[in-house]
Amino acid sequence: MRKKMDRRTFLKYSAAVGATTAIAGVPTLLRAQPKEITIASIQPVTGVISDIGIGQRRANQMAVDDINARGGIKSMGGAKLKLLLADTEAKEEVARTEAERVIKEGAVCLVGPFLSGNAMTIATLCEQRGVPFVMDVAAADDITRKGFKHTFRVFVTTTKFADSMLFYMSQIMKEKNISKIRGVVTNTGDLFGRVQGATFLKALKDKKFPIEVLGHIEYPLGIQDLSAEISKIKALKPDILFPVARPGDAKLMIRELYKQRVELQGIISPGSPGWYEPEFIRDMKALSDFVMDNVPWYNPIGKMYKEVNAAFAKKFPGKYIDTNTGYAYLGVLVIADALERAKSTKPDEIVAALKKTYLKQDLMVGLAVAFDERGDNVNADTAMIQIIGQSLKVVLPDKAAEAKYIHPMPKQLWERGM
Amino acid sequence: MNLNLLLQLALSGFLLGGVYSLIALGLSLIFGVMRVINFAHGEMMVWGMYVAYTLLVWTGVDPFFSFLVSAVILFILGYLLQRTIVNRILDFPEAMQVLPLVGMAMVFENSARLIWGPDYISPQSRFALSSISLGFLTVDTPRLMAFSIAIIITILVLVFLKKTDMGKSIRAAADNRLGAFLVGTNVNKVYAVCFGIGTACVGSAGGLLVPIMPLSPYIGAPFTLISFIIVILGGMGSLTGAMVGGFIIGVAESIGPELITNIFHGIGLDLDFPNTMKQVVSFFILIVIMILRPQGLFGGKKG
Repeated sequence: MRKKMDRRTFLKYSAAVGATTAIAGVPTLLRAQPKEITIASIQPVTGVISDIGIGQRRANQMAVDDINARGGIKSMGGAKLKLLLADTEAKEEVARTEAERVIKEGAVCLVGPFLSGNAMTIATLCEQRGVPFVMDVAAADDITRKGFKHTFRVFVTTTKFADSMLFYMSQIMKEKNISKIRGVVTNTGDLFGRVQGATFLKALKDKKFPIEVLGHIEYPLGIQDLSAEISKIKALKPDILFPVARPGDAKLMIRELYKQRVELQGIISPGSPGWYEPEFIRDMKALSDFVMDNVPWYNPIGKMYKEVNAAFAKKFPGKYIDTNTGYAYLGVLVIADALERAKSTKPDEIVAALKKTYLKQDLMVGLAVAFDERGDNVNADTAMIQIIGQSLKVVLPDKAAEAKYIHPMPKQLWERGM
Repeated sequence: MNLNLLLQLALSGFLLGGVYSLIALGLSLIFGVMRVINFAHGEMMVWGMYVAYTLLVWTGVDPFFSFLVSAVILFILGYLLQRTIVNRILDFPEAMQVLPLVGMAMVFENSARLIWGPDYISPQSRFALSSISLGFLTVDTPRLMAFSIAIIITILVLVFLKKTDMGKSIRAAADNRLGAFLVGTNVNKVYAVCFGIGTACVGSAGGLLVPIMPLSPYIGAPFTLISFIIVILGGMGSLTGAMVGGFIIGVAESIGPELITNIFHGIGLDLDFPNTMKQVVSFFILIVIMILRPQGLFGGKKG
């Protein structure tokens, strides 16, 4: 006999199934479900700096996934982190509206945003809305000089950049018996570029450091033609070029220096992106060699670094943990650590917990993350890295060095058989 | 005043100006014929760059040859864009014509990001690093080549418009759409071909720029702006104007900041004109010309 599902049978079964679900369902509802804690990653994912912005978002997301995989926020019943994604488009006004949106959607803490200019508007908004904001990357001193109570910076400040740059430069000059350097400083025209360039120049002047600045050249972020700027540099005949750049103009600069045959003893960045991303070495090949950059770098011997980098490189072939992605990952860890200790998602309690942060880490160079009264990470530090044989090496400080730095450049750009 | 430096700057600016001219020529042609401003112009140029880049990576063909493929692909894209979108908005008020094309710019920009990724790319190509030394002057070979090819393309487009039947139809349709229609011209087809030629110009310019500039999906917008300035400067719809305007803007942006700094120093001001403000130079020239000659340098009668 063939059973046929008629309307009555269907209703009967449906009722039975419905009732069972309801009975079984009630206790689930009554039981305290692990909550979900919403935080937001706000990065320049599209626009002139989208290459870096996407890396930042990926690292934020990977950190959230790793924390959730390890059982979420344990002090809050294993609550899982949920990451809202926001895109600043590298524009200040968009940064503000996007921050506003994620706060409305319930983000209890924001992490981001790579660009200092964007950071400034987000920090101002977060102060108004009383929402904690952890800057993973953003260096301009000013952001934490406004007396904001809700803003914390895991990254290095521009003052710290300049101090360590002079420290490393004095070691190089001493070891190589150089008494005076004639240099040209260049920087992009966004907030970070300007502040980074200006802070370096000010530090040189204040400390009467034996680097004579022959020229200071500024150009817009996202520039596509540097021929005029390089012609000026060539006319100034510097020994060393100190560029504060971004990925696009870093490549443009190297090619123009090559084509215009600008003779240099070295290219040493006071601290900027452009020189350490995988694409720089991939595209520039031998021309990338001997470039030095003073950056908050990963800790090559750190256990956490090795694990995170392996996972990141596996997930995103061709990429690795660098200054930006490393700090993006660390930024989320700082938030998770604060939530763990706060046992609450109330802004005041998160801020109180963030203030007491002491997060041991061996992902990046520098000691445990701890904030001063301004909200700056007192232990963030930089290393001098150099590209040697088309691979990145920490060359200073000596205690972390993977190789000895090479200065002056043994071969000019056009002598490298490209 | 460092005369050598100024000459060097003028030369680099002049060579790049040739490529600017080609970009602006496309915009001007489209505007002159259809009275539509292609706000997706810069983004289409980026597509031209990526096409040439892809060919370079896949087949090793140098961008100085593969720009032809960029031109063909961009012609097809432009033709289709005209047929599907632009043709429908020809009679709309100007403000309403802007939106679909700005929207297309976003589509081009973000689809480029989806296809080719967000990273800045500087591919190795045969001439990317070569330059010629002429006394104190350095001539950038890829710029010189891009300049020469851009000028040849521009001349070919002008000859095409003057001598061929299609070119004559395009000019007829530009002059009087209804009249051209009445004497039996297939105006829709002529418009689509014309839009295609405009985008092919910008596509080939994109190909020519691959050895000179790093590519990224988001570099298009400034080129739309600059070609727009050039077109207004030269006179809306005037092809000669687009050419001359390209050279003026190319040289002005290159030489402007240094020259102004020298003038500041000359009158005893300790002030440097920053390179960050070089667009101010182009806009300043634009404003001056708008005041003195509202129809642009080579603009015909008012309107």
